[in-house]
Amino acid sequence: MQSNAALEYDYSLAKKFTFLTILFGFLGMLVGTIIAAQLAFPELNYLLGEYGTFSRLRPIHTNTVIFGFTVSGVFATWFYFGQRVLKVSIAESRFLMVLGNIQFWLYFLGALAATVSLLLGISASKEYAQYEWPFDIVVVLVWVLWGINMMGLIGIRREKALYISVWYYLACFLGIAMLYLFNNMEIPTYFTSGGLGNPLHSVSMYAGTNDALVQWWYGHNAVAFGFTVPIVGMIYYFLPKESGQAIYSYKLSLLSFWGLMFVYLWAGSHHLLWSTVPDWMQTMGSAFSVVLILPSWGSAINMLLTMKGEWNQLTENPLIKFMVLASTFYMLSTIEGPIQAIKSVNAIAHFTDWIPGHVHDGVLGWVAFMIMASIFHMAPRMFKKELYSKKLMEAQFWLQTTAVVLYFTSMWIAGITQGMMWRAVDEYGNLMYSFIDTVTVLHPYYTIRALSGVMYLTGFIMFAYNIYKTMVAGKELSQEPQFRTPMA
Amino acid sequence: MDISEIQGYASFFMTIFLVIMLYGYIIHLYRSEKRGERDYEKYGNIALDDEITSKPVEDKPASQRYKEENK
Amino acid sequence: MFHWLEKNPFFFASAISIVISFAGLIEIVPNFSKAARPLVDLKPRTVLELAGKEVYKKDNCIACHSQLIRPFKSETDRYGKYSLSGEYAYDRPFLWGSKRTGPDLHRVGNYRTTDWHEAHMKNPSKIVPGSIMPAYKHQFTNVADIETAYAEAVTVRNVFHTPYGPEFKSGKAAWEAHKPKVLADAKKIADEMQDEGVKKMVAEGKVPEIVALIAYLNSLK
Repeated sequence: MQSNAALEYDYSLAKKFTFLTILFGFLGMLVGTIIAAQLAFPELNYLLGEYGTFSRLRPIHTNTVIFGFTVSGVFATWFYFGQRVLKVSIAESRFLMVLGNIQFWLYFLGALAATVSLLLGISASKEYAQYEWPFDIVVVLVWVLWGINMMGLIGIRREKALYISVWYYLACFLGIAMLYLFNNMEIPTYFTSGGLGNPLHSVSMYAGTNDALVQWWYGHNAVAFGFTVPIVGMIYYFLPKESGQAIYSYKLSLLSFWGLMFVYLWAGSHHLLWSTVPDWMQTMGSAFSVVLILPSWGSAINMLLTMKGEWNQLTENPLIKFMVLASTFYMLSTIEGPIQAIKSVNAIAHFTDWIPGHVHDGVLGWVAFMIMASIFHMAPRMFKKELYSKKLMEAQFWLQTTAVVLYFTSMWIAGITQGMMWRAVDEYGNLMYSFIDTVTVLHPYYTIRALSGVMYLTGFIMFAYNIYKTMVAGKELSQEPQFRTPMA
Repeated sequence: MDISEIQGYASFFMTIFLVIMLYGYIIHLYRSEKRGERDYEKYGNIALDDEITSKPVEDKPASQRYKEENK
Repeated sequence: MFHWLEKNPFFFASAISIVISFAGLIEIVPNFSKAARPLVDLKPRTVLELAGKEVYKKDNCIACHSQLIRPFKSETDRYGKYSLSGEYAYDRPFLWGSKRTGPDLHRVGNYRTTDWHEAHMKNPSKIVPGSIMPAYKHQFTNVADIETAYAEAVTVRNVFHTPYGPEFKSGKAAWEAHKPKVLADAKKIADEMQDEGVKKMVAEGKVPEIVALIAYLNSLK
């Protein structure tokens, strides 16, 4: 670890994962838009025969967005800022470089194979854990490789103190590892039945109510450690770096970190309110969901206050716009979630479209905005070119913001309408609506949602085009910009 | 004592313990700053000044120090 | 102490692990044996029904249908008695679902019949005008994997002691001995159906997915 003048950060891995982020982001959002349109116009179910029905495509949408788009975004940003905040180049260790490349190819090929398996209907049918056991093993391998790489880079670091973003990424690694392993415990039936049937088939280690508990402990916290923890880590690096302002209160960021770690895991049982899991557990899930507002808002307020005195940047720099809006959506969805977790609200909201509405103001508004902003920030540094078009970014920003607002408002109305209609009774106490009445009434909202999907996807294509043009036609930069990202 | 009782005690005491730790941490953060032992806010600069040539906010990682001590 | 923790990645990571695993340990582990108890008269599913459950999983019915009736009057009026934990004791995985784009199915066997399902799966909007459910015509021609379903029954018997009879043994021979019973069950369903193709397949000793799926749906009571 001698320090010579030619030492430079190596962005080759960050670049590779950036391409994957864009590829999987496009695929995931495309499938999402298709299935949103299918709910409004059922004829669209028959485009691909057996493989094109809503039910078959939905897990592809969720898994591609979670394990394709978000996770590769996490990898890409790690291989970028991980080096920078530890002040060590990954190229200083051949071992870590080789490991990173193995991770990339294993992940890429594994993700493709797993997507095809879902299309074929090979599914364990646990939400966001549909992959059958061989693909689970690939996921675990990729994750372990990433863990070794992260620990390795930390091991050879020059900066002794670990920056807060590294804390969050470490927690992301540990949390997902624990959750994924325990929830995907399954027994391949082929080996326990003397070689009968399909080798890919497996049964869950847990049954019934236990399976439900483990699944939602996973389901909720996969969201926590995939969609919240690393994204908070991301914004804690990219917002200060882009704006040139240090985090408003570093101490607050540390406190909300531990608060989040402790509280988040309890809240999983709020997915099972009014079900057959014990009552005290439901109450616990409900109560901790409300407590969760504190650490979440602690982080969000900290991000917004980072811009204190520098709000003029919001009008001048579209990247700051993306990030500030992302933290605003983070605040929105972290207040919405606890409201839905209150037992009486949940009685109406559960099983309705309000839930996808909630998920999407988080994922479209917070996760995807933050990942795109990070890539916008990294691109000029990785490719040594100026960003291609500021105008295009502005247009994308407004298009996608409108899309998110349309999405969640339509789903709020749809969800509450449906929840109220299911329980509506006439003066004699009989149910007022048959189930199909509560489906047909949603048609306009489903149409709006499909439209918002098209808008968001268009915005994402604009984003991809902008990055592509930056690579091939951006103005060369003579030196790496320190704070604000240069754009034409 | 059946398992649900153990569960009850365990969750109660563990929660108390973790709450004390969290408050202890808050006190630690502010007190060490007040006494001038450690300035937590300076870590915020790790993100801002992150060139490979720039001086670390806190130098000498454990591995390097180990090498020096065992020369 | 805190500062030391922040500088030592290994112990720091251990601290995170302890804090995040705490909730799972308290909430999930101690309840495990209690929640696994079946209802007194609960019977495990037949092999044909298990094969139907695989079709349910393959076509991912869980995306739009729940199997969990909550204890509200509006739900018990609509779907029947509220769900009990012991009813799910042999369900691996649980299929409660999280979204009702379509109605709950936990007791669909009480109020829908074989021929209703047949007509509905072929063309949902003909049976329920305004339905946005896609037709599942491919289930009438795809063959259900009953051997894998048998493998599952053997597995849960061997590993989890699910009360299947002693005839559920590992290996090809035991499966060949059990197969006629599955086909007989399938024939019973097919006899109540209209589709000639389905009847023909069953007569040839193959079980179309739709037959297995209907057997499963009928068992949801």
